[in-house]
Parts: sequence; C-alpha cells; structure tokens
Amino acid sequence: MIPIKYTYRNLFERRGVAFMTLASIGFVVLVYIGVLALAGGLRAAFADTGDPSVVIVMRDGTRAEMESSYAQESHRLLTTMPGVERTADGAVMASGETVTIQIFNRVDGTETNVMVRGVEPGAFGIRPGFEITEGRVFEPGRGEIIVGRSLAGRLGLRVGDERELGRNTFRVVGLFSGVGAHGSEIWGDYRDLGDSFRRSGYYSSTRLQAASPAAARDLIETVKADQRLQVQALTEPEYYELQSETSSGQFIILGNVLAVLMAIGACFAAANTMYAQVAARAREIGTLRALGFKRRSIMGSFFLEAVLLGVVAGGFGALLSLPLNAIQTGTMNQVTFSEITFQLRTTPFALFSGIFLATVTGVLGGLLPAFGASRQKITDLLREA
Amino acid sequence: MIKLIRRNLLRNKRRTFLTMASLAMALFILSLLGVVNDAMNFADESAIPDRLVVRNAISLTFPLPEAYEQRLRTIDNVVAVTPQNWFQGVYKDQRPENFFPRFTIDPETFRSVFYDLEWNEEEWEAFAEQRTAFAAGRELTEIQGWSLGDTITIKGDIFPIDVELQLRAIYDFDEPGQERQIFFHRRYVEEAMGNPGQNGTYWLLLDDPEAAPAVIAAAETMFENSDNQVRAETAEAFAASFTEMLGNIQFFFSMIGLAIVISIFLITANTMAMAARERTTEVSVLRTLGFRRNQVLGMVIGESLAVGVLGSALGLGFTAVAIQGATPFLEQMGFGFGGFALDSQVLVTAVVIGIAVGLLSGVFPAVAAARLKIVDGLRRL
Repeated sequence: MIPIKYTYRNLFERRGVAFMTLASIGFVVLVYIGVLALAGGLRAAFADTGDPSVVIVMRDGTRAEMESSYAQESHRLLTTMPGVERTADGAVMASGETVTIQIFNRVDGTETNVMVRGVEPGAFGIRPGFEITEGRVFEPGRGEIIVGRSLAGRLGLRVGDERELGRNTFRVVGLFSGVGAHGSEIWGDYRDLGDSFRRSGYYSSTRLQAASPAAARDLIETVKADQRLQVQALTEPEYYELQSETSSGQFIILGNVLAVLMAIGACFAAANTMYAQVAARAREIGTLRALGFKRRSIMGSFFLEAVLLGVVAGGFGALLSLPLNAIQTGTMNQVTFSEITFQLRTTPFALFSGIFLATVTGVLGGLLPAFGASRQKITDLLREA
Repeated sequence: MIKLIRRNLLRNKRRTFLTMASLAMALFILSLLGVVNDAMNFADESAIPDRLVVRNAISLTFPLPEAYEQRLRTIDNVVAVTPQNWFQGVYKDQRPENFFPRFTIDPETFRSVFYDLEWNEEEWEAFAEQRTAFAAGRELTEIQGWSLGDTITIKGDIFPIDVELQLRAIYDFDEPGQERQIFFHRRYVEEAMGNPGQNGTYWLLLDDPEAAPAVIAAAETMFENSDNQVRAETAEAFAASFTEMLGNIQFFFSMIGLAIVISIFLITANTMAMAARERTTEVSVLRTLGFRRNQVLGMVIGESLAVGVLGSALGLGFTAVAIQGATPFLEQMGFGFGGFALDSQVLVTAVVIGIAVGLLSGVFPAVAAARLKIVDGLRRL
C-alpha cells in the first residue's frame, strides 16, 4: 500500500490546481444544498401546521379554505357532532373560520395575496402552539387584528399600524407565531372580518377537536355520512400535506435535475484535474513501480486522491451553504395562491446529500485517470525522465 | 497562428473534450434555467397596451357587480368592455396535466376586446348560440385529444356546480401557452348559481393606448364610494402581478445561475492554466524562433476562446433539443403553462457568458506565458 500521507501531500503539493477543482465542485454542492434548503424550508413551513386529532371541514369539492363557503346552519350542525371534544367548562372545542384573500404590498414594493382569517374564540384552544410574541390578542368588536410574525416582516407591519381590510380599517395589536403556516396569515375576529368582507353568516371551514387521531378518523366518517351536509372532512395534516407537496415538489425535482446535470459537468472537471495529476507525475509513478508498488496500489492511491478531493470539496460547499440557513423568504402557496413565508433550512439531510454528491463526483471523475495511471509501463514512465 | 491554435487544441484531445464538455454542461443548465424562468414569468409580452383589466380592489377572490360593465363603457376612450371569470374547477383529476385555465365569458362582447384570437366564423357562431358550448385553443385540443362535438365535465370548486360542456369552436393564437385555455358562457354559470349578477374581471379596450393612465384613474374614481372599489391596470401589469406573487424565487434562480457561472469559470481557467503551464518550454522556443509576445498572448487566448465558443454551441444545442423533449416534463412539474422556448435574450446571455468565460480563463495563463523570459522558459528543459 502506498501511504495515505502520499495522497494528501500530493493534493497539497499541487494546491493551486487542487483548490480550483475543489472550488468548482464546491459551488455545485452549494447550488444543490441551496435548492434543497428552499424545498426543505417550504415543507417545514407546512409540516409544523396542524394536529392529526383536529378535523377540518370544508364545502365538498374544494381544495382550499378560501374556495369553500357554507351557511351557519351547517357549522352549528358540525359542532354538535358526537366525538367533538369539550373543554373543562363544557365549551365545544371547535372553531368556525372565514378565510379571504386581500392584496398587500411587500416591503420591496411587490404585490402579493395575503390570507385573512376570521376566527372564533375556540380557534386558540385547538391550536395549543399559538403564542403572542408581541402586543396582545385582538378583542372582538373593536376592529383589531393580529399578524403572523414572519408575515409582518415581509409586509413591514408593526403593532399599532392600521390597514384597510375589506370595507373597514383595522389596527394591528399583536404579532403571533407557533402555528406553522398560519404564521403567513392575518387573524381577526370572525364577526369583525365577516362584516368587513361581507361574509357574515358564512364559514369557509370548521375545525373540530377530536380526542385522538383515531377518534378524528371516526369523526370524519360521521361527518361524511351525514346527509344534511355537503362537506368534506379531513385531518389538518392531510389538508396541509397537499399544499406542501404542490408548493415544494417542483423545487425538489428542480434541485435533483440541477444536481445531476451539474455533477456531470463537475465530473468532467475532476477527471481533467486527475488526468493532469497523473500526467505530471509520470516519473513519480514510474519510480513507485520500480520500488515494487503494485499497479493496484498505484490505482488505489490516485483513486483515493480523487475521492478525497470530492469529500473535501463537498465539505467546502456545505460550509459555503451554511449562511443560507434561516434566511427568511416567501413565495406563492401553489394551492391557495397566497403568500407563504418560510425560512431556508440547510438540514443535515441537505448537507449530507451535498457532500455525497461531491464524493460521487470525485469517484466518477477519478476512476478513469486512476486506471490509466496503473496501466502504463514502467519503462515508458521512466523514459520520460 | 490559427493552425497553431487548432493543433494545440487537438494535442490533448481528452483535455479539450473534458473542458468543452463541462462548459457545455454548464451552459446547458444555465440556458435551461433561463427558459424555465421565462416560463414562470406570467408577464404577457404580447399584451397590447390598449387593454386594461378592472377587478375588485380587495383581491381576485371578490367579484364585481354586473352593472359595472355598463358604467365602465361610459369612460372616455373605452371602446369595448367584456367580462372574464376564472372558473377553475377540476377536469378529470388534480394531476397537473389536466389543469388548464378555464374562463367564463360573454360571447356577445368577447371578441370586441379579445380581437387577436383567430376563429373559424362558423364554429364561433355555433359556440355563441349554444349556452353549454365551450371553445378551446388548438394546442389544448391536441393535447387532450378533443374534437368538435366532444363533451367534457368540469367539477366546480370555487363555484359549487358541475358544468357539462360541448366543444363547438377551436381558436388559434400565435403565442404559445395562450392556446391552452378554454372559454365558456358566463350565463351558464350565472343561471346555475341563481343569477348572483357578478363578474371577476372586466377587460377594457381603449382606442388610444396613451389614454391608459387617464382611464385607470377614471375607473378607480368612478367606484371609489361604492361597496366594491376597483383596481384598474394594464393587462401587462395584471399579468406581472402573478409573477410578483412568486416572490424571491426568480432571485434564487439568478443566484443559482451565478454560482454555475463561477463554477465553470473555475473549471475552464484551471484547464487553461494547466495547458499553458505544460507548454512553457514550447512558448520559449516559439519566442526564440521570433514570435512576439503579442502572438503568444493571442495564441493562448485564441485557444481558450475556441473552447468557449465550441462549448457554448454544444451546450445550447443540447438545450434546444432538450426543450423539445422536456416540455411535458417541465409542465408536469408545474413550471408555467407551456411556452417553453429558447428566446433570443437567454440565447445571447448564454453565448456571451460562454465566450467571456473562455476569454477570461485564457487571460492569466496567456499573460504568464507571454511575460516569461525566454531564458527562464528554456532553462526548465
């Protein structure tokens, strides 16, 4: 065996060339991790939303809450269904909500759709993660709203600001978080917003708290079986899964297609570098062979060098990608056509995938040159000296 | 000179090939990215500045009263007004290939505003007369395999009704993507919904594009004190607002593009440096033979330039082929509705980048080679 020291010393000896190759593979890794972080962040934004014990009911045939609309009677009927939990003081754990969309401008002046949700007091009980991060919760009947913290940043809204929502003017009294994708929404009192948007007496969705995920399934069956209702029911995670898949799916595909194409390009670069290394070291190889090292060890040594180059490049790319983590951004939810804010997430999975990609690049790029190096005849190699 | 460059390129065929291939790959990705980015750009470049869109100021989810149509018509410079509504709904299933825009329109006024669609007059008459008829773009009928007389069912979502429609007319339009829509009678939906008397958008045709700002102001003021305030804008701005909703995605695309450019620059520069270093002695011999510094400089740069140009051509050739093959795939991924084309802007950008990378990566080794003192170069023998 040729000592490993020889391998890394070689890389270090020709650090100019090695660094250039390293950097080019590193950028490939950076792009790959970047796209995965985008997709991962989007998924995470939805993944934290919803409880498998909560059933969401919408009008039959609709995919998103703001497409759905039904009258008060249906909502009342839903809250009386068997299997809906009650609080200690006997209140039904359910929330009828009305969801509309209004145009807003982002801080950068561009335009976006924002989901505005009118909620009943029960909304907070079925969303235990809900927390106010600044100010306080709105009080019904006073034209007050609260804004998801990440959305507030995107829109430049602060506590105390006033905005027209529908016909009336509302005042921001608090910012909230902890409820996943709801962090991209504006919340207010069901009646206040219903009145302002002229949706009084109508609901977009009703959320019902069941005792357990299994109880939620039973509740869904009960709701579906009721002839008086023309609704569909599904658990909250099921509802958000569709939005998550639709919105992030294309980034994952894009990331993988880009990664494969770029990796092929980088393979050529790695092969180029390794061929040059082999050519530049012809005399050395000859000497090693003359000293009695086997063809296989020569091949192994060069191969190892290529792999090492790949791994280090992968690490370099991963390092470059770290500042991307937690960058706050937003795009269009492809199901609701409204703003969804999220943070880029360079998850361990994304980082590992990037390093893996670079390693494969090194392996594929190094295979042929290493083989070539071991094939040459000692006499040819030494003659060049 | 040229001969020397060619010979040098061919000397290490493997290296030249590998460099060119990596450059081609990079430009392939870059131009493909550009194409996708273009397709995500909803901005309708064919939009004629003589058309305006009026919608509810809150958002598109809120309709406008029917009566607004007549009032908008009274504004100066407005020659025609027609309603258009987004029906959405589901055709067959939720798969992206079965998604296409579905609008309800008023056949009486539709063509006075959307005068640029091409119709067969007999088909149009048949469509206009039958309340349950629909019209589709030619491309869409080919994709779905529809022919005149076929009946389809669209399951309603925003509107809680299912509509059964019969294909009566097929239109042509020269912009790709615009042939992938269907139109049907708004009356049909209105009646099924119990005549709420609403429309999603009104499209206005102006006799003078210059009048657009004045008409926009007039329309917005007209309904300022009504229950439904309106927002008016040019058709182009309306389309652009959909692109804006995508947010920073296009910015990320540009960043990816930049990283790719840096990456290929490093690769090519690296190879050129290797190629030049290998030839130190040779350069000195050439200089001894009487070649001037400039000629040596030109030779090395010429070589990398050739790699750049050939690599770009190869990469863009890939893209052109790939677009043909990948369009259905890209559509399935949901990147825009058709309209994937390698437009001149993407093409020029890619070629410029390819050449620039070729040039720049040759400069350093070229200068180094030209600067080298003859004696130093020969000493290395």
